[in-house]
Amino acid sequence: MNKNRFKIWAIASLMAITTPTFAQDAPNADNGKKLYEANNCGSCHALDKKMVGPALRGVHERRSEEWLIQWIRNNKKFRESGDPDANKLYQEYGGAAMNIFENLTPAQVLDIVEYIKTAPAPSAPKTTGPVVDSNAGDQDDSSTKYILLILVAVFAIVLMVLARVKNTLKRIAAERDGDVESSKKHDRWYQKFLPEKLGKMNPTVLAIFTTLIIGLPAAWYGYKFGITEVGVQKGYAPTQPIAFSHKLHAGELKLDCKYCHSTVEESKSASIPALNTCMNCHKGVQLTDKYHGEISPEIKKIYAALDYDPEGMPGKEFGNNPKPIRWVRIHNLPDHAYFNHSQHVVVGKLQCQSCHGPIEKMEVVQQWSTLQMGWCIDCHRNTGIDAANNNYYAALHSKAQKDLKEKQNHSQYFGPDGKVKITPAMNGGLECAKCHY
Amino acid sequence: MSNNIKYWKGEEELNRDAQFLANQKHEFSEALPLEEVLSEDGFELNSNRRDFLKYFGFSVTAVALASCYKTNVRYAVPYLVKPEEVTPGVANYYRSTCGDCSVGCGVEVKVREGRPIKLDGSPDSFVSKGGLCATGQASILSLYDMERLANPLVKGAEQKDWTAIDSEIKGTLAALNTQGKKVVLLSNSIHSPSTLKSIEAFKSVYTNVEHVSYDAVSYNAILSANQADFGLRAIPNYRFENAKAIVSFGADFLGTWISPVQFQNAYSAHRRPTAEGGMSVHIQFESNLSMTGTNADHRFPMVASKELAYVSTMYNYIAKALGLTQIPVPTNSELAGNSIETAAKVLLNNKGKALVISGSNSIEVQKVVNAINVLLDSYTSTIDLTNYSKQYNGDDTAVNNAFAGLNNGSVAGVIFYGTNPVFNHNKEWSAAIAKAKLSVSFASSKDETAAVCQYVLPDNHFLESWSDAEPIKGLYHFTQPTISKVFNTRQAQESLLSWANALPGSENDPFKNKRILSQKQDVSPFYLFLKSNWEATLGEGFNKALEMGYYQADSNVLNTFTMPAYVGSVASLAPAISKAASSTGIDLVLYQSVGMRDGSSGNNPWLFEMPDPVSKVCWDNYVSLPKALANKLGVEKDDTVNIEVNGVKYENVPALIQPGQANNTVGLAVGFGHTHAGKVGGSIENGFAPVGINAYRFVNASRSNVISNVQITKGEDTYVLAQTQTHHSIEGRDIVRESNFTEWKKNPKAGNEKAATHIYTIWEKQDYLKDGSPNHRWGMAIDLNACTGCGACVVACSIENNVPVVGRDEIRLRREMHWIRIDRYYSFSNTQKEKFEGASYITREKQIAEVDDTDKGEFAHWENIQVVHQPMLCQHCAQAPCETVCPVLATSHSSEGLNQMTYNRCIGTKYCGNNCPYKVRRFNWFRYNDNDAFDFHFNNPLGKMVINPDVTVRTRGVMEKCSFCVQRIQESKLKAKREGKSMKEVEVKTACQRTCPSNAIVFGDLHNPESEISKLFKNERSFSVLDELNVQPSIKYMTKIRNTQNI
Repeated sequence: MNKNRFKIWAIASLMAITTPTFAQDAPNADNGKKLYEANNCGSCHALDKKMVGPALRGVHERRSEEWLIQWIRNNKKFRESGDPDANKLYQEYGGAAMNIFENLTPAQVLDIVEYIKTAPAPSAPKTTGPVVDSNAGDQDDSSTKYILLILVAVFAIVLMVLARVKNTLKRIAAERDGDVESSKKHDRWYQKFLPEKLGKMNPTVLAIFTTLIIGLPAAWYGYKFGITEVGVQKGYAPTQPIAFSHKLHAGELKLDCKYCHSTVEESKSASIPALNTCMNCHKGVQLTDKYHGEISPEIKKIYAALDYDPEGMPGKEFGNNPKPIRWVRIHNLPDHAYFNHSQHVVVGKLQCQSCHGPIEKMEVVQQWSTLQMGWCIDCHRNTGIDAANNNYYAALHSKAQKDLKEKQNHSQYFGPDGKVKITPAMNGGLECAKCHY
Repeated sequence: MSNNIKYWKGEEELNRDAQFLANQKHEFSEALPLEEVLSEDGFELNSNRRDFLKYFGFSVTAVALASCYKTNVRYAVPYLVKPEEVTPGVANYYRSTCGDCSVGCGVEVKVREGRPIKLDGSPDSFVSKGGLCATGQASILSLYDMERLANPLVKGAEQKDWTAIDSEIKGTLAALNTQGKKVVLLSNSIHSPSTLKSIEAFKSVYTNVEHVSYDAVSYNAILSANQADFGLRAIPNYRFENAKAIVSFGADFLGTWISPVQFQNAYSAHRRPTAEGGMSVHIQFESNLSMTGTNADHRFPMVASKELAYVSTMYNYIAKALGLTQIPVPTNSELAGNSIETAAKVLLNNKGKALVISGSNSIEVQKVVNAINVLLDSYTSTIDLTNYSKQYNGDDTAVNNAFAGLNNGSVAGVIFYGTNPVFNHNKEWSAAIAKAKLSVSFASSKDETAAVCQYVLPDNHFLESWSDAEPIKGLYHFTQPTISKVFNTRQAQESLLSWANALPGSENDPFKNKRILSQKQDVSPFYLFLKSNWEATLGEGFNKALEMGYYQADSNVLNTFTMPAYVGSVASLAPAISKAASSTGIDLVLYQSVGMRDGSSGNNPWLFEMPDPVSKVCWDNYVSLPKALANKLGVEKDDTVNIEVNGVKYENVPALIQPGQANNTVGLAVGFGHTHAGKVGGSIENGFAPVGINAYRFVNASRSNVISNVQITKGEDTYVLAQTQTHHSIEGRDIVRESNFTEWKKNPKAGNEKAATHIYTIWEKQDYLKDGSPNHRWGMAIDLNACTGCGACVVACSIENNVPVVGRDEIRLRREMHWIRIDRYYSFSNTQKEKFEGASYITREKQIAEVDDTDKGEFAHWENIQVVHQPMLCQHCAQAPCETVCPVLATSHSSEGLNQMTYNRCIGTKYCGNNCPYKVRRFNWFRYNDNDAFDFHFNNPLGKMVINPDVTVRTRGVMEKCSFCVQRIQESKLKAKREGKSMKEVEVKTACQRTCPSNAIVFGDLHNPESEISKLFKNERSFSVLDELNVQPSIKYMTKIRNTQNI
C-alpha cells in the first residue's frame, strides 16, 4: 500500500511538474525540425555523424528525456550539478562545451528529440554530383555536324564524277562497237536526272539557273553561319568542377556580386574568388540537414581542395596537400582584345547583368552575350557615359554643352532614342588601340 | 652650320659601297621567291583559267573547313588562398636592389600575380635615381632561365637534399680547420652589411677561412693608389653633378666604369645648355671609341700604353700654371699635339669644379690622377672620399696569393661566391681547383668554374633573395624577394650561416606555424638574420625601410665631405714615366661592352641582341681596327684577323674597322666566349658554340686592360657581323642637327634655323589638332644632348612590349625587331689640323677624298670622329604616311594622336613599312614565340613568365612598331577616370622614358599647356625629323649642342 501510495504521489508530482507538456499534444516532429534549424543545431551536430558534437540519431535511446532536457537547456549547470554522464560526455568531446539553450522550453526540447527520432534514415550515398571531367567544358559544337555534311557533299561529287567517267567510257565503247543509238542516247550526263525540258536547255543557262536557285541561298546561309556561329560561344555553359549555383547565391540569398568578385572595381579581371572567400561562410554552412547528416558533396569539394578536415583538432584542420580548383573558363576573349572590368563597372557604371545576363537566375552559368566585336561597338555607340559627374570628362562635357548651346555639330549628341548623351564613341571609344595593343 | 656637316652611319655609306647601295633600294633583304617557286617542276607561269578556278575553289573550301574548329576548353585557376596584397590583373611594385653587378642600384620591381615582369630604377635610390641600365633591365630574364640549376650538384650529379650536402661540407671544413689548412672564400665585391656579417659568422667558426674579394674587371689600381695617397683603400664617390669640366683618360664612365647609371644621371645635370648654369665641358682621351667618348665635347685618340705620359704631361702643365713643382720628366708636347695643354687650361679655368679620371689599372697613372685632382681642389667638390663607394673592392694581390696557395697546397679549400675565375681570370684556375680538397661554387648555373667544382650549391636569383646593400658608405638599400623560389636553390648567405650553425633558430620566427587556411606563412631564415641585424638601428622602422628600399641615417650625408689628408707624391714616378713614354707597337685595349659588361650574364639573349652603342654590332665581339691599320693589313669589311700576344692566339676573329679607334691600338670586348653559359651564350657540353672569343685570356699578370705589342695579321676566313646601323641610310637628309654652346648662347636656335616649308597636304586636319579638342594629345621630346646612347631604353622597350629576340642570322638579314633603335651618326672633326675651332669639320665628300689622299696612310681624320646618338622610334605622325597605304586599315589614327597598329587586322602587305620615312616599322617574319628555331627563352613555359600580360604577343606575318606604350597610357587614364581626376592629372611614363638614366626622354600631353612636354615643344632647340615631308611627327628632338672650346 505504501508502495502504491508512493507511486501515486510520484506520478502526481511528476504530472505537476510536467503538466504543461502533458497539457499539450504529443511531441511534434515538424515543430522540432523547425527548432533544430532555427537554433543552428546543424552547425555542431549531424544525425548520423560525429561532428563537433555527437551524432544525434538514437539519442532518445541512449539518454532519458529528463536528462536530455537538462543537458540541452543548460549543460553547464547540469555538469556542475555533478551528473556523471554529463561530465563524461564533456570530457569525451575534449572539453568543447555545448551552447546554452535556456530559451527552449522542455516541451520544445522534446519536439526536437521527436524530430531526431523520426527523421528519415539516410538513403544510399548520392554519387551523382557533378564530376570533374577532362572533357567537361567541351562545347557541344554543332560545327562537327557541318563538317560531316560537307564531307558527304564531297563524296557525292566524287561519285558523280566517277559516274560520268563510267558513262563516257561506256559511250566511247558503244561508239567503237557501232552502237550509235546508245551512244547518242545520253549525250549529257545530267539529262537522265532531269525532266526532259530542263535537260534540253542550253548548258550555260542551266548552270546560271542552278547557281541562282541553289548556290546563292547556300552562300547566304554559309555567310550567316560564319558570322553568327563560328567561334561564337554564346550559350556556352560547361559543367564546372563544383556545381556552384549563382541562382542560389546571387538570386535567393541575394549576396552582392562584389562580395565574391571582389576585384571587379579595381582590376581588369572580376576574378573568380579564392577559396578563402568561400570558407568565410562554408566553414559553418555545410547543409548537413539537407544531406542527411553528411556535408554537402559540393561543399566537400571546397574542403578537399583546401585539404580541410572539419573534424580535425583545432589548429590542425588544414593539411599540407591543397589542390587548386580548375574552373572552366566561360568567357574567352581572344588574347589580342583587352577588356577591363573596372572601367565598365566603376567608370561606365554598368550593372553586371548588362553583359552577363540574368546571372542571378542561372543555376549553371552560361555565356550570355556573343562577345563579338560588333556587340562591343554597338554598346560603345549607344550607351551614355556619366560625363557630368566625372572630373576626367570635364572638357568633353563642357564642349558638349557648348556645342548643344550653339547648335554646332550637335546632332551627334542625340541617341537613336532622342535622348542627349555622350557616348564612349565620341571620346574615341571606337578606336583600335583602345582595346587592341 | 649644321647643314654643312656630313653625317654617316658606317664606312659603307661613306664610300657608297656597291652592296650598300643595292641594299638601300630594297626595303627588305630578300624578295619573295616567286620566280623560284613558280619555275619548279609542275608549275608554269602561264597559268590558265581552269587552274585559277581550281586553286580558288580549293582555297575557299579549305578556309571554310579550317574555320570550323573546335574551341579549346580553357581553364581559370584562382588562388586557393588569395594573398591580401594581390589583386589579379593589377601590378604590385616592390622596392629592391639590382644584383646583376656589384653596383647595387635601387630598383622597383613590377610584379603581376606573384611573378616579377619588369625592373626599373627606384626614384629614391641615391645610385640609380630612377634610371636603370640595359644590363639591369635584362637581368629579370636570368630569373626565368631554364638553364639555371634546379638542384645542387655534387660531383656533377644532382642531389635534392641540402642537409646531406651540409653535413658533408661541414665535415670537410672542420677537418681542414683542425689540419690548419686554409680555405678561401672568393667572392665578388660585397657591400651588403648582412652578407658580410654572415661571412664573419662563418669565419668565426672556421678560423681557417679567408675572405678574398675579386672583381672580374679590376679596379685594383684606384684602390691601391688611394691607399697610398690617402691611407684609405676605397673608390671615391665621384660627383659628376658638381663637375663643370671633366677630363677622362679611357674611363667609360657613362657605359661601364664603376657606377654608370649614377654617373649618367649626374653627368646629364650639366649637359643641357642653360643660360644661367652654362654647360659642362667633357674632354675624353682614349684608344677605343667608347660610348663615353662619343658624348665628349672633344675626344682625342690616345695610345693606351702611353697613358702615364699623358697624365703626367697634364700634371706638369697644371703644376706649371699653378707655380708648383713638376714631375722631373722632359715635357712631351708631341703627345696628342697640344690637346693636353688645352685640356689642362679648361680644367684650370674650372678649378674647384673640375674632375679628372682614368680607367687605367696602373697604380702610377692613378697616383698622378690623384695628384692632379688634388691640385684642382676636386676632393672638396667632385670627389667624395668621405662617403666613399663600396661598390668595388677587389684585391688582386690577395687573389694571386689565393691562387698560389691552391697550387702549393697551403689552401686546401675554395668557395666561389659570385665569381667565375676560370672564365675571367688570367691564370689557369681549373687545374688549381682540382687540387683542392674542397671546392664549392654558389653559381646559379653550371658556369666554367662551377663545372670544375665538387659542389655547386645554386644561389637564389636576386629577385628571390633577402639582402641589403651599402653601395656608398652610410647609404643603404634593401633587397626583398618578389617571387618564391623557382628552383631548389638556397641563398649563399644561408649556406654559410648553416655551416656555421648560426642560422637564426625557428624560435625567433614570428611566422612559425602560422598559416592562413591551408597557406603556410614561411619566411626565409636569412630574412630573420637580416631583420635582427637591422633591429638595433631601425627597430619598428624596418618594414618602412623595406618598403622604401633605402635607409640613410643622415639625409644630408652626401653633401658633407671633406678633403682627405693627401700623403702621396708623384716625383718618385719619374723613371716609370720615362719608360712608358717610349713603348712602341700595337696596343690591345680590352673593354667591357655596354650590354654584356664583364660577362656574368652570359646567357641573356636580350643583352646579345642589344646593339653595341657605338659599333651597333650584336651577338659577337670583334677586334676593332683603326682605319690606318686595316689599310696596312688589307683588312676590309667582313674580314677576320688573327691576334696573338704572350702566347695566346685566336685565329679568324671578326674584325671591324672602327672610326675613332686610335692608330696603333685595337679594341676587343671581354665577357664573350663562354664555354659553360647555356644555349644562348654558348655551352660546349651541350653543343652550343661560344658566342665570340674570350678576351680575358689576354689579360696579363698586372691585370691591366692594356696589352702592348700584339701581333695582328689578316685572317683567312670572312665573317659577317650582325650590325644594325647600316640597315638604313641617311641619304644626305637633315636628320640630326647640332651646334655649339658659343653659338647657342648667341642664338638659342643655333643649328636649328632651318624651318620646313609645308607645301601641301593630302590629309584632312586631324580632330585632335584642332582647337578645343577635349582629348589628350600625346607627344615625346628627346634631348640629343642628354641621350648618351646607352641602349637601356632598347632593352626596357623589348621587355615592356614583348619584343622577340631574333638572333644573329636574322639581324644579318635586317630583321631585328626592336621598336626603338638608337641611330648613331659619325662625322669627321678635323681636330688635328684646327683643334678647338668648331667650324673646322670636314664637310663635302670631295674634301674627304682630298684628305684621304693627302693623309699618306695616317688617316688622322678617321681617328677624330664626332658622334650623335638619336633614338628613333615611331614618330606617331599626325599625317602618317603608313596609314594611307594600308589596304586593310590595320594602322589608323586615334583621337589622342597615336598611330595605332592593330595586329589582328594586319595581313602583312608591308606597304606601311615601305612608306614609313623613319623606317621604324618591323615585320614579324616568323612566329618567334613557341618556336624552337628561336631558342631565346620564349619557347619554354618558364621563359614566358616574363611576358607582359597586357601586351599582345604578335604572331607571324604582322607589322609592329612603337605604340607609345599605349597599355601604360590606358592604365593611367583609367586610374584617373576611376578616381574622377582631371585629364591634366594623368601621368604616363613610357618604358623608355622610365629607364633612361639621363632623363633624355620626356613624354606627356601636349594639350596640357603646363606640362613639361608642351614647354619642350616650344623650346628653340626642338625640331622634327624630316619636317619637310609634313608628316607632323609627335616626337621632337632637341638640337645637339657641343660645348666646344675656343681657347
